[in-house]
Amino acid sequence: MNYGHRLRFGLRLSTDADHEPDHLIKSAALAERWGLDLLVVPAGTAGADLEPGTVSSWIAAATGSLGLVVESPPTPHPAMLARAVASLDQLTAGRVELALHAEAADSGEALGDTIAVVRELWNVLDRGLGRYTGRLHRLSGAQKAAPAHDVPIAVHADSHVLRLVGRQADEWSTGDVTALAEGNRVVDEAARAAGRDPREIRRRITIRGDVGERAGTFTGTTEDWVSDLLPLVLDHGVGTVVLDTDSEDLAARFANDVAPALRAAVDAALPHGWSSTRVRRAAALARRRPGIDYEGTPEGMAEVVEPGDLAYARLRSGYLRGGAPGIVLRATTAEQVAQALAYARRHPGVPLSRRSAGHGVSGRSTNDGGIVIDVSLMNTIEVLDEKTRRVRIGPGARWAEVAAALEPYGWALSSGDYGGVGVGGLATAGGIGYLSREHGLTIDHLRAVEMVLADGSIVRASDVENADLFWAVRGAGANFGIVTAFEFEADEVGPVAFAQLTQDASDVERYLVEWGRVVEQSPRDLTSFVILPPSRAGRPAVALSHTMVHAADRETVLARLEPLAAISPMYAQDVAISSYAAVMNNASDDAPVSRGEPVSRSGLLRHVTPEFAAASARVLRSGAIGWFQLRAVGGAVADVPADATAYAHRDANFSLVVMGGDDEVVDAAWELLRPFLDGLYLSFESSLRPERLAEAFPPATLSRLRRLKSTYDPEGVFDDNFALTPATNDPGGSDQ
Amino acid sequence: MTDYGHDLWFGSFVTPAARPPQAPVELALASERAGLDLVSFQDHPYQSAFQDTWTLMSYVAARTERIRISGNVLSLPLRSPAVLARAAASLDRLTGGRVDLGIGAGAFWDGIAAMGGRRLTPGQAVQALEEAVQVIRGLWATDEPGPLKVDGEYYSVTGAKRGPAPAHRIPIHIGAYKPRMLRLTGRIADGWLPSLGYLPDGPASLDAMNEQIDEAASAAGREPAAVSRLLNLSGRFTTGGGGLLQGTPGDWAEQLADLALQYGVSGFILASDEPAELDLFGHEVAPRTRELVQSERTA
Ligand SMILES: Cc1cc2nc3c(=O)[nH]c(=O)nc-3n(C[C@H](O)[C@H](O)[C@H](O)COP(=O)(O)OP(=O)(O)OC[C@H]3O[C@@H](n4cnc5c(N)ncnc54)[C@H](O)[C@@H]3O)c2cc1C
Repeated sequence: MNYGHRLRFGLRLSTDADHEPDHLIKSAALAERWGLDLLVVPAGTAGADLEPGTVSSWIAAATGSLGLVVESPPTPHPAMLARAVASLDQLTAGRVELALHAEAADSGEALGDTIAVVRELWNVLDRGLGRYTGRLHRLSGAQKAAPAHDVPIAVHADSHVLRLVGRQADEWSTGDVTALAEGNRVVDEAARAAGRDPREIRRRITIRGDVGERAGTFTGTTEDWVSDLLPLVLDHGVGTVVLDTDSEDLAARFANDVAPALRAAVDAALPHGWSSTRVRRAAALARRRPGIDYEGTPEGMAEVVEPGDLAYARLRSGYLRGGAPGIVLRATTAEQVAQALAYARRHPGVPLSRRSAGHGVSGRSTNDGGIVIDVSLMNTIEVLDEKTRRVRIGPGARWAEVAAALEPYGWALSSGDYGGVGVGGLATAGGIGYLSREHGLTIDHLRAVEMVLADGSIVRASDVENADLFWAVRGAGANFGIVTAFEFEADEVGPVAFAQLTQDASDVERYLVEWGRVVEQSPRDLTSFVILPPSRAGRPAVALSHTMVHAADRETVLARLEPLAAISPMYAQDVAISSYAAVMNNASDDAPVSRGEPVSRSGLLRHVTPEFAAASARVLRSGAIGWFQLRAVGGAVADVPADATAYAHRDANFSLVVMGGDDEVVDAAWELLRPFLDGLYLSFESSLRPERLAEAFPPATLSRLRRLKSTYDPEGVFDDNFALTPATNDPGGSDQ
Repeated sequence: MTDYGHDLWFGSFVTPAARPPQAPVELALASERAGLDLVSFQDHPYQSAFQDTWTLMSYVAARTERIRISGNVLSLPLRSPAVLARAAASLDRLTGGRVDLGIGAGAFWDGIAAMGGRRLTPGQAVQALEEAVQVIRGLWATDEPGPLKVDGEYYSVTGAKRGPAPAHRIPIHIGAYKPRMLRLTGRIADGWLPSLGYLPDGPASLDAMNEQIDEAASAAGREPAAVSRLLNLSGRFTTGGGGLLQGTPGDWAEQLADLALQYGVSGFILASDEPAELDLFGHEVAPRTRELVQSERTA
C-alpha cells in the first residue's frame, strides 16, 4: 500500500551537548546543500542533549530552505509549545514541522491533549479565543496565533498510541521497519473510524546503516540500500526516510546517491511516481462549499486555497470587506490566470472575484462561496528603461512598494493616499493621489497593459495595440479582464513636503469653502486632502488636512502652506520634508480581519460652494456618517481630454468620499449632497444602484464602454466591479 | 546611597512583535551594531501580538556575534524550570556564554490561566520562583555529585540527571518590586531587574528597595554587591531641557551616571524599537556615562 506522498529525505541531527557547537550548523548547512528536505532535531535526553527548541531556532537562523522537524518531549505546557513552533514557523516563513514523542507511561491522554491544544491555538480559521478542556491540559480563552503554514504534527511511537496517531496525527514516525505493516493497519483503521482518509497520514521511517560490504539491511552499496528501501515505500507507504548517523560520509552517500536512486526506482514502479497531490485533512474537507469542483482545480496554480486551509484565514477577506469564498486560486503568471479563469468559467452560477491587493470598495474582490482569482503574488516592480522612466509593475504590488522601488531613481507615480492599496484595482480605475494636481491620475501614466480577456486570450493593449481596450482599461478596466502587468512612465519627483494640520472647524462651512478656494488657487505643486471627523459632543470640531507640496525648500513650502494654515486656528501641525515613498509607507502588513460590507459613497464636484458646504455641515451634524473626506483633483487631471480615457470626469476639482455603517442611513444623508455633485469616481462607491453607472461614466463614455463590453466580455464574466449592464432603460445606452 | 562598583553595561529592550516576524531580529542586529552589551525581550506568551520570546532569543543568538541575550523577564508560570534550565544551558553553549537569565514570578494571571497555566497568589508565586531557581541552578551544577533532587511545593525534581552545563555561570536576574520579591532577590539573585517606569517614586524609590535587597543578601551571608542592579529605561532624545531621559545624549549620560553613583545601577536597558535611538544610546550615551562614572570613582 502506498499513500501517494511525495518522497522526502532527512537527516537526524545529533544534539549531544558535548559536540562542538559548530557541528550543528555544519550538519545543517550540508543537509541544505545536499538538497535534503528535512533535518530532524531530536528531543534527546535531558541532561545529555541540547534542548531541541533552542537548537531548532539556532539552526533556523543559519539556514534558508531546509525543513526543520522539531521534536518535543512530553511537555507540561502544550500551549507554549504551540507558541514556540508558530513563532519559529513565522520566522522561517514556513519551514517547521512538529514531532511529538509518546512517553511509554502515557496511554495517549497527554499526547492527545497536547495535539488538541496545539491545533486549537493554531486554528485561526475559527475566530475568537482558544478553548479546550482535556483530561490533562486545557485552554480557557487563550489568544490564538497561527504558524506561517499548516505545520504538520508527527507522532513518534511504536505501538501503544497508534490509534491516536490514526485519529489525530499528520505523520506516524517509527524506527522499527518490522513494525510498519501492523502499525499501518492500526493507524489506517483508526483513521477511517475517525472519518479520515489514511492518506492524510504520512509514514516516516528512521534508519541507521552503513556503506560497504553487504551485511544486513541498510548496509551495502547504493543498490542494496535502494532494494531495502523500495519495498518500504511501495508496500508500506513510507513517505519520509530519515537517516540517523554521526558519519558525514554516510550522510553524503544517503543524500547524493541513495535519495535520487530511490526516487527513480519509485518513479519507475508507481504510476504517479513520487510526486504527490495534496491530501487535506477530513476537518478541512468539511469546510468545502457546494457547487465548486474542488477535484478539478487547474494543475499549475501557484497555490489553491480552500476554506479548510490555514492560508484561508489570511485570504478570505479584504481590507474593508469580509468574505467567505469557496476557493482562492493564486496565480503567478498570465498563463495561470488564464487557467484559473477557464476553471471559473466552468462554474457559471458561482460568483467570481478578482483580487490584487484586496483594498476594493466598489470592487468585490471577495465573495461568499464563490471563486477568487488572486494575483497578489504578481507583485514585481521592474525598471524597463531608465531614460524614458518606463517601469513594469505586477497587479499585486502595493503602492507603498512601488513608491519605495522608484525612490532610488528619483521617481514616483502618483497613486493614492494609502500604501496598502494595490496596483491592480487602482490603476484600472483612476488613481487620485497626493500628486494629482501636478501629475494627473495614475492612469494618465499608463502606457500599456497585458491582460487576460474573458475568452482566455492573453493580449497587450496600448495606444498602438488594441487601442480601444487600452482606452477602456483606463477607468473601467475591471470590466474587461484581468490585468497581469502594467507599464507606466514614472515622473521625476524629488523630495516633497508633507503637512498634517489639525485645525479648528467649528465653522465647518467657512472652513470648507476656504479650503476649496485655497486649493483651487494654489499652484499645482500642492495637493491637499481633508477629513472632517463627524462632530461629537464635547469635542471641538476639527479638520484634518493632509497636504503634499512637491518642493523641498522652506520658503516655497511655507508659502504654499501659509494660506491653508490661515484658514482657522491650528490645534496641531506636523510638517516634514520627506519623500513620496516615506509618505506612502503607511500601511500595515496584518491580515485583514474585516467583516461585512463597506458603505461608501463617491461624488465629484467642481467647486466647494457655500451651498455644498452648508449641506456638508448638516450631514456631519446628522450622525449618519463616520467618514467625510474631500480630495483635490483638477490641475493636471483636467489637462487630459474627457474622451481620452474611460475615466471622463476631468473637469472636477474635488472628489468627495462619505462612509458610514448603514446603506439606508448613508443614502439619506447623501441625498442632501447629491444636488451639488456631478459624477462619481467608481473606486469609492460601494452601492449597486443601477443609476451609478451613468454617474460614473458620462453618456458618450458609457455607450462606448458598452459596445466594447459586448465585444470583449459579452457574457459578463467580469462583473465584480461596476459591471456594465446591457443598455436597456438606461440613459447611457441611448445610442446603442 | 551606594555604588556597588560594578562595571557598567548597556542594553536594549526590544518588543518581540509578531508581525513582521523579522522586525525584532533586525532590532537585535541594530542593538549589536550600536555597540550595546545586551539585547533583551519581554515575555508575555498569552499575548498573540508577540512571538515566543525564547524562540526569538535563540534565533537572534544565531544571527548575532557578540551581544548578550536575555528575557526581560521570562514568565516562569508558563515555562517549566527544568526545560528552561536545559534551554538556557543549550543556548549558552551554542553562543559561547552570551546568555543572561531574566526571570519573573509571573504577572497577568488571567492570561496565564487562559494558556493552561496554574494560577498562584503573589506569595505562592514568590516561593515557586525560589524553587524554580533551585531547580535551574541544580541542573546546571554538573560538578555536584549525584542526580538532582528538589522537593518543592511547586516544582519537584526526583533524581534528574544534571546537565547540560552552561558555558559560563549564567547570571539570574529577577524582576522584583514588592518586599517579598526584593528579599528573594537579595537572597538568591545575581541581578535585580526593575523598570524605572514601575518605580513608585522614580529613581528615589531605589534607595529603600536597594536597602531591602542588601539586608536580605547580608542575612543570607552574601555580599550586597553580589546582586547587580539593573534598570529598564525609557525616554526620548530631545534637543535638551526636558526631565529625566528627555534631553540630549549628554543629558542622559549625566543622569545615568547619577543613577550609577547614587543608586548603584550598573546595567542600563533602553526600551526602544527605534534603531536611531539604540544607536545614540550605544554610541553616545554609553561611553559618556562610563567616562563620568569612571572619573567620579577614581576621584
Ligand atoms: C484605505 C483605502 C484608501 C484608498 N485610497 C485611494 C486613493 O487615495 N486614491 C484612489 O484612487 N483610490 C483609493 N482607494 C480605492 C482603491 O483604489 C480601490 O479600492 C482599488 O480597487 C483597490 O485596489 P486593490 O488592488 O487593492 O483592490 P482589490 O480588492 O484587489 O480589487 C478590487 C477590484 O479591482 C478590480 N481588479 C483588481 N485587480 C485587477 C486586475 N489585475 N485586473 C483587472 N481588475 C482588477 C476587480 O474588480 C476587483 O474586484 C482606497 C481604498 C482604500 C481601502
